[in-house]
Amino acid sequence: MAEQSLQLEQANVLTSSRRRRGHFQFKQLPSYLFLGAWSLFTIFALSWVVLASLKTNREVFREPFTIPAEPQFVNYQRVWENSQVGQSFVNSLIIVGLSVLFILLVSAPASYILSRARFRGRNLLTMIYIAGIGIPYPLLFIPLFAMLAGLKLINTMPGLILVYVSLSVPFTVYILTGFFSSLPQELEDSAVIDGATDFQVFRKIMLPLARPGLITAAIFNFIGLWNEFQLALIFIQDPDKRPLSLSLYALKNSMTYSGDWAGLFAGVVIVVVPTVLLFILLSERMISGITLGSVK
Amino acid sequence: MRVSNRFIILLLLPATALYFLFFLVPTLQALVYSLYDWSGFGAAPVFIGLRNFRELLNDRVFWTSMGNTIGILVIGGVVIFGLAFVMTMMISSGIRGKKFFRSIIFLPNIIAVIALTTLWGYMYTPRTGLFAAVFTALGLTELARFPWLGPDTIFIAMMIAIVWAEVGFYLVLLLAGMDKIPPDFYESAKLDGASDFQQFRHITVPLLSDVISIGMVLWAIHALKIFEFPFSFTGLEPNPSSYTVAVYLYILGFGQRQPIYRLGYATAVGVMLLLAVILIVLLLRRVTRREVYQY
Repeated sequence: MAEQSLQLEQANVLTSSRRRRGHFQFKQLPSYLFLGAWSLFTIFALSWVVLASLKTNREVFREPFTIPAEPQFVNYQRVWENSQVGQSFVNSLIIVGLSVLFILLVSAPASYILSRARFRGRNLLTMIYIAGIGIPYPLLFIPLFAMLAGLKLINTMPGLILVYVSLSVPFTVYILTGFFSSLPQELEDSAVIDGATDFQVFRKIMLPLARPGLITAAIFNFIGLWNEFQLALIFIQDPDKRPLSLSLYALKNSMTYSGDWAGLFAGVVIVVVPTVLLFILLSERMISGITLGSVK
Repeated sequence: MRVSNRFIILLLLPATALYFLFFLVPTLQALVYSLYDWSGFGAAPVFIGLRNFRELLNDRVFWTSMGNTIGILVIGGVVIFGLAFVMTMMISSGIRGKKFFRSIIFLPNIIAVIALTTLWGYMYTPRTGLFAAVFTALGLTELARFPWLGPDTIFIAMMIAIVWAEVGFYLVLLLAGMDKIPPDFYESAKLDGASDFQQFRHITVPLLSDVISIGMVLWAIHALKIFEFPFSFTGLEPNPSSYTVAVYLYILGFGQRQPIYRLGYATAVGVMLLLAVILIVLLLRRVTRREVYQY
């Protein structure tokens, strides 16, 4: 009897909590207002940039809140060709694409070993990797510059790629070890019993299983490096070799003289579109990826 | 799993070699360089012991930049975590559009900081900027003319942009932590007559403390090396009054218009930054250390 009433009560709680989801409740009004206002501001600011990038400079100043009378795609053409934004876009694709590829190529095997193999010094090595996450990049500016100058890699794309890959390894290894450790042991064991070699187990069994983790790590590194600025600022001087973030910065600075705000906003849109597109396509994976290492 | 040593070494070597050679070795070199007077990459460094650090103690620009950095860390941290907490509570109170709000609030996080500073720089521009246009439309001509990026308010103006850009990351972190709390904890607390506040105090906070602690460490590491925002928020040369440590280090080592090329001294600034990271992370770990709740 008592048990029954308890079940009944639980059922009630369940339905009431389900009801909470669907219907509007008055006490949720402040939440809607606050979150709504915040989101509205973000959407407004970002769509304003897109609209401004399609206006004439006159319109940007005179009619800040209108739809452009006639979309000025010529703004995009202008920055793409004249301000080397197009060249930089290609540079960024090359630099970031190759960096992400190499990052995964070296980090995945290391993470696999760190999370699944037993050997002496494993914990120490894992700790050393994690410590890398805390080392502030600015500390490395001068020693790395001297080192790359010695290797004749200053102001070269391979030099920047080398820096990007090396500095991204600790974070990537951290994410991927978390992922590899969450994979079940059984498949590995049965493959070994079936006579697979160590490498086959890794390549044929574990790597495919780890694909979601690898994709997540790839997205994070892509976005992080696409937006990266300070290392590029130090290691690249030649305008022809600039990645996109540096070009946008140059464009922003030249604004002081040119007054071409519409062109600058077109540049902003060009920088932002690839990452926002990735986000729209893969936001669920990204959001769950953030918690990969931090929330168990 | 048992695997051969050769296999272990083979798989570990590429990543570890890169990490050691181009990350850990430069870190150790930085510790050494900070003890030298070194006036350019072509010049020969001269050993001067701790003189760089002694000079730093009396370097006003350094302390201003350290103050700004700690200011961003502390003020930004309080505001960001406060907001992220409130938003987490709001979003997980059973409202509609949970994923929508989460995605939109997170969105600025994936946008290049230079793009963000361009946008905010324009929004803050007096008279012609976006905020000014809004104020003009509202008839608030005084506010429309206000120089938000002037020396008195640039720090606050920048903090607002930083908070807006960063809060989504910590929101996502806290929300994920919330999702891991089994709903029956709340159900049974409600059955026992616990108030909303009691549930918050005795279920939510303790069970989220793990995530909060990790989030704070991540924020501290991130905030201490903050560079792009102060560097590109204003025009060509950032004003020394809004330097952060990372910006000051860059100016000392590489300069902009007029390189200073004080490489040893700049590296000493970097070492101070590393010390700050270590100290603050240890401090945070100590403050947030508590028993881990298993559930």
